[in-house]
Amino acid sequence: MNIQFPALVALLFFPGGLFLLASGLVFEYIDRKLVARFQNRIGPRWFQPLADVIKLLSKEEIFPAGVVKSLFVALPVVALAAALTAALYVPLFGFRAAFNFQGDLIVTLYLLSMMTLCIGLAGANTEDRFSLVGATRALTQLFSYEAPFLLALLGPAIALGTWNISEINAGAGSQTWFILAQPIGFVVALVGLMGKLELPPFDAPEAETEIVAGAFTEYSGRGFALFKIGRDVELVIGLTLVASFYLGGFTNPLDFLWKTLALLLVTAALQSLFARLRIDQTVGLWWRVGVILVLLQLVVIIFGKLLSPVILPLVQSIFGG
Amino acid sequence: MDFNTAPEKFIVPIGPQHPALKEPGHFEFTVEGEIVTNATARLGFVHRGMEKGAEERTWIQDLYLMERVCGICSHVHALAFSLGAEKLAGVQAPPRAQAIREMVAELERIHSHLLWLGVAAHEGGFDTLFMYSWRDRETVMDLLETISGNRVNYSVNVLGGVKIDISDQQADEIRKGMDFLEERTKHYLKVVTEDETFLGRTRNIGVMDSELAVKLGAIGPTARASGLKRDVRYDAPYAGYGDFPVKVITNKKGDLEARFVVRIEELFESYRLVREILDKMPAGDLTVKVPRRIPEGEVISRVEAPRGELLYFMKSNGSDKPERIKVRTPSLCNWASVLVTAIGHNLADMPMILAGIDPCFSCNDRIVTVNRNVDSSQMDWEDLRRYGIEYYK
Amino acid sequence: MTIGSMFGDIFKSFFKKPVTEQYPFVKIKAPDNLRGKLIWDPEKCSGCQLCIKDCPSDAIELLVLDKVNKKFVMRYNIDRCTFCSQCVQSCRFGCLEMSDEMWELASVKKEPFEVYYGRDEDVEGFLEKAAKAETEAPC
Repeated sequence: MNIQFPALVALLFFPGGLFLLASGLVFEYIDRKLVARFQNRIGPRWFQPLADVIKLLSKEEIFPAGVVKSLFVALPVVALAAALTAALYVPLFGFRAAFNFQGDLIVTLYLLSMMTLCIGLAGANTEDRFSLVGATRALTQLFSYEAPFLLALLGPAIALGTWNISEINAGAGSQTWFILAQPIGFVVALVGLMGKLELPPFDAPEAETEIVAGAFTEYSGRGFALFKIGRDVELVIGLTLVASFYLGGFTNPLDFLWKTLALLLVTAALQSLFARLRIDQTVGLWWRVGVILVLLQLVVIIFGKLLSPVILPLVQSIFGG
Repeated sequence: MDFNTAPEKFIVPIGPQHPALKEPGHFEFTVEGEIVTNATARLGFVHRGMEKGAEERTWIQDLYLMERVCGICSHVHALAFSLGAEKLAGVQAPPRAQAIREMVAELERIHSHLLWLGVAAHEGGFDTLFMYSWRDRETVMDLLETISGNRVNYSVNVLGGVKIDISDQQADEIRKGMDFLEERTKHYLKVVTEDETFLGRTRNIGVMDSELAVKLGAIGPTARASGLKRDVRYDAPYAGYGDFPVKVITNKKGDLEARFVVRIEELFESYRLVREILDKMPAGDLTVKVPRRIPEGEVISRVEAPRGELLYFMKSNGSDKPERIKVRTPSLCNWASVLVTAIGHNLADMPMILAGIDPCFSCNDRIVTVNRNVDSSQMDWEDLRRYGIEYYK
Repeated sequence: MTIGSMFGDIFKSFFKKPVTEQYPFVKIKAPDNLRGKLIWDPEKCSGCQLCIKDCPSDAIELLVLDKVNKKFVMRYNIDRCTFCSQCVQSCRFGCLEMSDEMWELASVKKEPFEVYYGRDEDVEGFLEKAAKAETEAPC
């Protein structure tokens, strides 16, 4: 839909801000319920993520010894703020984005990576050994999936010749969906999204059975709640990006819903199929398989664009225009 | 910890409270980056004083105390105790009782190995396999509840035989359960040996060849996965294993994958044994009379728990209370293998290597080391007992 | 080498009912052999007290009102019982058996856990005497 909300409303209430927080909780519920159903059990009830957030916000926040207190308090807030700001450039819920300009694809991706940087800083801030190991792993994982993910999202951008997310969204619906035209890029983008969100099998930075909770070990109460909410918001925005690029863009909320939920189903299935990868296996996987696949895809796209003045008339003449 | 020094002595504690451990135990791994360079262990957090408690109770009451040393291998503890007491009293339980004892021991082995499969998968981050194997474990727990009346701590042993009998209807239910479980176990064997991500976590991790296993004193499936053929059911058959023998399963590779494969193949062997016992159960009495005052003597009884060889030393002084009972559980012998094979692996492999020996901490804690820096003296058993009694008066 | 070898399982589970029992609303029936609450038949008891000697946790007590006429009252502490059924095994006259009740052992008070068994007149007589003894004792 072409309604454009004024920027402050979009940031604070709808479709960003509070509405985005609520929908983040809904998406988390759907994700947990799907994973539970795949494992033949019931899963949480609809208000479980909301109850978790309320409980965490009402608990006492404990400051461990040896932290820089201002950094300890500020990091979760910065992470959530970055995620909410990234929502301004993305066509959330089928409405037009509040701002758009050439190059906002790069800005959005960097704002989403701020979350991981904040996690790395939060882990390095304490003296706890588990947090340090978790922070190291989070930053290592950032360096490994970031390049293939960005390049995979660049595939549709190159094909359409623009760096503007809203233009890509509008243009992706007008031709064959990129999931069919660039399947390799789609696979890399989806798996890269799982790496960015630290979902299993890429949850080495937060491995529960090895390093308790990674960088979040020392957080409790309000800081932990803000990190969790930031994670959920990032889930929604990431799914929106991948769906809008590869599944043909959105024009109205219903379109948005079914495309993102279909992607969430596939993500939940991938979550429950694999064992956790060790951090060195993750890096090896991304830098060997991921990068090569996405570079291959980019080469195909570039060749396709260069040769399209030659190929298209040929194809039309063969198939009778 | 001094935060500014170079990270050479960076010690990660997998401490008494940790999501990787189901029971408390303290491990310190010295890491450089992610590679472990040293490992130490400290046990003793769940010492309950069971050996002392056994001296205050009569032989019949002790049967139930010894059963509660461990929740997963409770039947084999009671079995070792009753076999030892019967040997001291000079009686032998009738063949039907021995067959029922063996069948319940094999059912318990099935339950323990399925539990371990889930726990080890959970340590490796594979929650789906964890949920499915525990769902299938409910089948064998319901079977045990049908025949004995309780899901854990089955209490089928009495001194001189067993308490329960297996009716035909129960035998049919057991056979149906075994068929279902065998099908599911074939699927799990395929998953464990073929799934790419799971193999990445288990293949060539924690390798222990047979010489190292002999030097470190490993027992049970951990040793059998390194090629050693050590199984008490085969070396020194007890309870019905003379009539219904078992095949010892070994594997040459010695890594984590081999331990998974050995335990799953032991499951197949247990299914076969349970079916064989049900088909050929001998008829007869269930118990034989054992006097209340066990005659004097000392005896060692060994049985094969799901984790290895379980050893009981029992000494009687002719009264109705035992003089001394010493329990040596199998998990205690396997710790050295963890601490030695952990060196050189990633920190991420530590929980799986720990889970690979199937640790049961509450079985372990028998000894307490007392470090008295003021003075050190030698105490023999009588002095130690007197000291303990005086201390708590 | 397969990737995603549990795919068949998760695909089928998506269409099946979950296997979790929703406990407080759905309770499965206890099996017949369940070792639940102990039941004592006073008619056959001879007062030998072998069951009490063998109990590992002192859960049963026999209160002797009249030894010659075999008037006994048994006090059974369910909270101490480990449900091992050794007493059932030790009794030579078959007075004891384990029912399949009371396997949900949670309560807010201690009263449900102390049970008196016996012929009705014996139990009443004993409880009256105990109540009178409490009120009469100088305190």
